Amino acid sequence: MTTFNKEMNAITRREFLKASGLGAGGLMIGVSLPASLLASTRSTSFEPNAFVYIAQNGDTTLYCGRCEMGQGISTALPAAVADELEADWERVSVLQGDANKKYGPQATGGSNSINEMLEPMRKAGAAGKEMLVAAAAKSWNLPVENCYAKSHAVYNSVDDRSLQYGQLVTLASELPVPENPVLKTRAQFNYIGKPLQRHDQADMVSGVRVYGADKKVPGMKYAAIKHIPVLGGSIKSVDKSKALAMPGVVDVIIIPRFEKAYGSIGGVAVVADNTWIAEQALAALTIEFEAGENGTYDTTEYKQQLVKNVEAPAKIEFEKGSLDKAFSDAAIRFGGTYVGGHLSHSPMEPMASLVWVQEDKCVIWASTQDPAGIQETVGAYLDRKPEDITVHVMASGGAFGRKFQCDYVQEAAACSKATGFPVQLTWSREEDTRTGYYHSCSAQHIEASLNAEGKVTGWLHRAAFPPIGSTFNPAVVQPTAGDLDAVSLHPYGIENMRVESGMAKAHTRIGWYRAVYAIFYGFAINVFTDELAHKAGVDTVQFFRDIYANNKNPEQQAQVERCRGVLDKAAEMAAWGQPLPANHGLGIAVHHSFHSYVAMAVQVEVVGKKITVHRVDCAVDCGLVLNPDIATAQMEGAVIMGIGLTLNTEISFKNGAVVNSNFHDYPVLRISQAPVEINVSFINQDVKPTGLGEPGVPTLAPALANAIFAASGQRYRSLPIKPA
Amino acid sequence: MSHTLTINGHLHTTDVDSDMPLLWFLRDTLELTGTKYGCGMGLCGSCTVHLDGEAVRSCLFTVGDADGKQVTTIEGLSTDGSHPLQIAWLKNNVSQCGYCQAGQLMTAAELLAKKPDPSTEEINAAMEGNICRCGTYKRIRLAITDAANQMKGV
Repeated sequence: MTTFNKEMNAITRREFLKASGLGAGGLMIGVSLPASLLASTRSTSFEPNAFVYIAQNGDTTLYCGRCEMGQGISTALPAAVADELEADWERVSVLQGDANKKYGPQATGGSNSINEMLEPMRKAGAAGKEMLVAAAAKSWNLPVENCYAKSHAVYNSVDDRSLQYGQLVTLASELPVPENPVLKTRAQFNYIGKPLQRHDQADMVSGVRVYGADKKVPGMKYAAIKHIPVLGGSIKSVDKSKALAMPGVVDVIIIPRFEKAYGSIGGVAVVADNTWIAEQALAALTIEFEAGENGTYDTTEYKQQLVKNVEAPAKIEFEKGSLDKAFSDAAIRFGGTYVGGHLSHSPMEPMASLVWVQEDKCVIWASTQDPAGIQETVGAYLDRKPEDITVHVMASGGAFGRKFQCDYVQEAAACSKATGFPVQLTWSREEDTRTGYYHSCSAQHIEASLNAEGKVTGWLHRAAFPPIGSTFNPAVVQPTAGDLDAVSLHPYGIENMRVESGMAKAHTRIGWYRAVYAIFYGFAINVFTDELAHKAGVDTVQFFRDIYANNKNPEQQAQVERCRGVLDKAAEMAAWGQPLPANHGLGIAVHHSFHSYVAMAVQVEVVGKKITVHRVDCAVDCGLVLNPDIATAQMEGAVIMGIGLTLNTEISFKNGAVVNSNFHDYPVLRISQAPVEINVSFINQDVKPTGLGEPGVPTLAPALANAIFAASGQRYRSLPIKPA
Repeated sequence: MSHTLTINGHLHTTDVDSDMPLLWFLRDTLELTGTKYGCGMGLCGSCTVHLDGEAVRSCLFTVGDADGKQVTTIEGLSTDGSHPLQIAWLKNNVSQCGYCQAGQLMTAAELLAKKPDPSTEEINAAMEGNICRCGTYKRIRLAITDAANQMKGV
């Protein structure tokens, strides 16, 4: 688990329970049930809680508090509510909830939406249903036991009469909310587990869906921005004269760095009548920047230093058994060093929001993963209370972790505050590429010992990467023990282990990129395991099975079984061990992250420098799958992002600034590199569901690297892979 | 100098600068926001529209370039979402975030207008300029093939 999961979950869950006045075991549905709300709406609608609204004509609106960025959460969670509510999905509309504590924690990341919100939202639906059933029973003067809900109506088993939900709205609103509604069993589900179509597909193919970059209000202006290219740098001088003389330019705004984790890095913005004028005026500015202390950041040199830091003893953060003894008794000792570069999220919709700062209010329309983060950051910037900042959560055109940070919203607020207009700021692709919150570059050194039977007896793992904590606190200059948990608590069965943290002071802003640290941990551990298997002369799948089976820790048996479950399934899907065409190779990898388990087998063809991924088989254990089609899409997307970061993309810095600028030099995957065949299987669906936004990403790179070795004999230990 | 453009069948006369990219004229002036900004350099295809039936990058074509011509945006691909590609996109649940899909659809529509029965290689070649960061490429291929079959009456 990552820093992200731990800290964000802790904070958001705490705030949620505080807001709700409930303890950890409490019913979240109770949160949103002020008596005044029921009193005021009693005659016209039924709103048993924040998530459910039924109008008198029966039309039903379900609210999604989590942010939609393409992952399908605004279908998956409301469909579960509809299921428990016994609502007819055809009568349901889904609306995105604005920033509001009544929806519980809205921060959408760490693949935790389903993990955290499914049960409370199911209860919200079930409570609504029980109230509607009770209302019908009351009107018929029958015991509740004789009444049941089905497809937007309540029936009774005595005389077969029925009442539509719309007819029950008034009566149901007067009834008490059940404290402990009964949830359905798996066999009773109508929508959960079914490939229900996403509610937002039609709007997306007709061009009417409104993203953060699309929102319009009367009298609005448009802004463009050029940032200070180096973290901690400053603006020495700005010549605004040419820009201000251009027709349609409203103003040129200097935005100083706002030293909050989610605040602006600093820059110069132009506010104008349209985006094109703003971009032209921005280009007409003469700006002199001062680089500051990070002005020498050079990723080529920095990664070499990280390698040195992990190839020498570092700070010990975890130890078990006696590694020294295991190493001295070893039949085989072997080590490898694995390196990865910075990555940019590069969602297709760059950072964009519309902000209107007024004297008595501030209204924001933003693509975001964290509406409460916007309230806090913009509130701090304007010196107002977070609850006085209204945030309308817009559809995000991709996010992948980047839209957790709301620097772009605070910058739009600065433009609006300075000009008095509602201002929509859209970053250019160049600014998105050059001043993001990057995935850490990294180096890891692993050494292991094998005994005469080929069993792994010892494992030394040193990791150095600028941690995300550095973005919040510059004094954090190397991975913490918690950052290394994914290694220390890895479900491999290894008796003697030492985990060390190498120095890695950050020189840029580090953020959460889809799958976060699991990307480089998954890569290093799985490639190293494949290398060990070859050293030991054992088939890789068998070697994986054995190293998991060696784990005798009773607390980790479920993890071991689930890892082995997906491993065996992926091997079966890919027909592991069967002959392949010439120049083809099959590679496999297993990783457990964000509470879910994934194994991937990748079939690749290597001819000279040309690497072609033909087929990817994915076995997934995320427990119960809420919507198999959406879940499959998440895995397909993870495969594409995984191939991109394995073969194509790296953000490089020179003289403190990012060298890349747009899709020609940050070549995210295009269709010709996408495999035709991506197969996804879900296993072990009887257990509690967990998230899937991130867990698909970490296995692709190592499975592909292992496949390339199988096809060509060439071992790659650095990402992105650059064929020699 | 004023320009006259036909956009989705409607005549628009405007006196904006000839050099204004069609993309920003559509988005900021006409508030037709279905056409998206993604890169500004013709690298990603999010802003694809049809100019007299040809798929072009509206970030690189100007209002002057479009003077006197027919412009079709995603809002005009069909009036009711009934273009075979739109139907195939829904059938295959192609979209994830959906941001790039207007551009994908406009490029695919030109492809099918020119090649009613494209092979996988031809689909790849035609769609190579349209980036989808969510990674929906597999479903884009399936949907284009579905739409092609639909249009052929298969």
